[in-house]
Amino acid sequence: MAAPMALRRELFSLARKISGVSHLTPRALGACSSHRKCNIIRSHLPLASSTSFHTATLFLSTPSSITVTEEPDTLFQKVSLLVKGHDRAVLDSYEFFATMAAKELGININKVHELPKDMERFTLLKSVHIFKNHRVQYEMRTHYRCIELSHITGCTAQVYLEYIQRNLPEGVAMEVTKTAMEKVPDHILEPMWEDHPIDDKSSQ
Amino acid sequence: MAASLTSTGSARLLGALARSGSLCSSSGSRALHVTAVCCKNKAARVRVGKGDKPLTYEQALPPHHIGHRKGWLSQNTSNLKGEEGAAERTIEDVFVRRFMFGTFHGCLANEIVIKRRGNVLIVCALMLQKLPPQKFYFLIGYSESLLSHLYKCPVKLEVQTLQDKAVYKYL
Repeated sequence: MAAPMALRRELFSLARKISGVSHLTPRALGACSSHRKCNIIRSHLPLASSTSFHTATLFLSTPSSITVTEEPDTLFQKVSLLVKGHDRAVLDSYEFFATMAAKELGININKVHELPKDMERFTLLKSVHIFKNHRVQYEMRTHYRCIELSHITGCTAQVYLEYIQRNLPEGVAMEVTKTAMEKVPDHILEPMWEDHPIDDKSSQ
Repeated sequence: MAASLTSTGSARLLGALARSGSLCSSSGSRALHVTAVCCKNKAARVRVGKGDKPLTYEQALPPHHIGHRKGWLSQNTSNLKGEEGAAERTIEDVFVRRFMFGTFHGCLANEIVIKRRGNVLIVCALMLQKLPPQKFYFLIGYSESLLSHLYKCPVKLEVQTLQDKAVYKYL
């Protein structure tokens, strides 16, 4: 794996010049990502006709600009990520990646737990016509993983979630639930009966 | 006779007879009675033969090994609990497989792996070195642009070439 990676980096500048075949204009990508294609040709000298090559895709993103605003940042009491997938090993490695990223960024992880898997089963007839006694059973397994982060600011949450979601593996879905903390509005800070003493008796 | 014959030819014959009913002739001669126990699982399985059929790992393992010894050929989130769009993804996958099979006719070494990440459709294929690389590059660019126009999303092709098909066993 190291050799093709080194080759890829060296040929990266070359790929920009040779990219005539593979560059297409109407790519409907998201706002801030682009990709390059890197074609490597290695030919075996004795056999000139057969050459081995492989193509790989690189996802590159342009860095988003930093905006500074006056309004205060939203504070989240809890951000919970629920990751669903068909393969438990994929979810294990994704959980390791997400927890490592959170530790590096200094985000508090409340708990990481695994919800019990869901199996959707159905029993169908095996044959096209008759043979009701012969059936075939299929099932679809959904494994879950829940990562809860606590006491996180809006900016940190945005950056972390963007990083996590860009690296979401294929076949894995994620649901994010954020619990925000808001300042208590001024009109309910003080109880009403202190400002306006009871006038009911006198009005009655 | 009871279904004790195991060769494929007679199994198919017995299967055909099972559907049409039992075959009986005039009294005194033998009748062939077939029962419904011949309905064995046939999906995605290559039946045992003389030993001259080369099979790849994907073809050699039956579908109940998916998730245990086999991986998934089409990876998307539509079949998870609470997710939608399963039928549309399946139709797209079938079309992409047929399209690739037709465009790179005779050059595919194994089944195509289709992955969906966000908006991007990634098609991973193993090819045999039957065509010169310039033709391969043209076909790769052509299929990428055509599929991205058809599905309105970026389609990327990841291709690796081999000299011959990777044979796992002979059946």
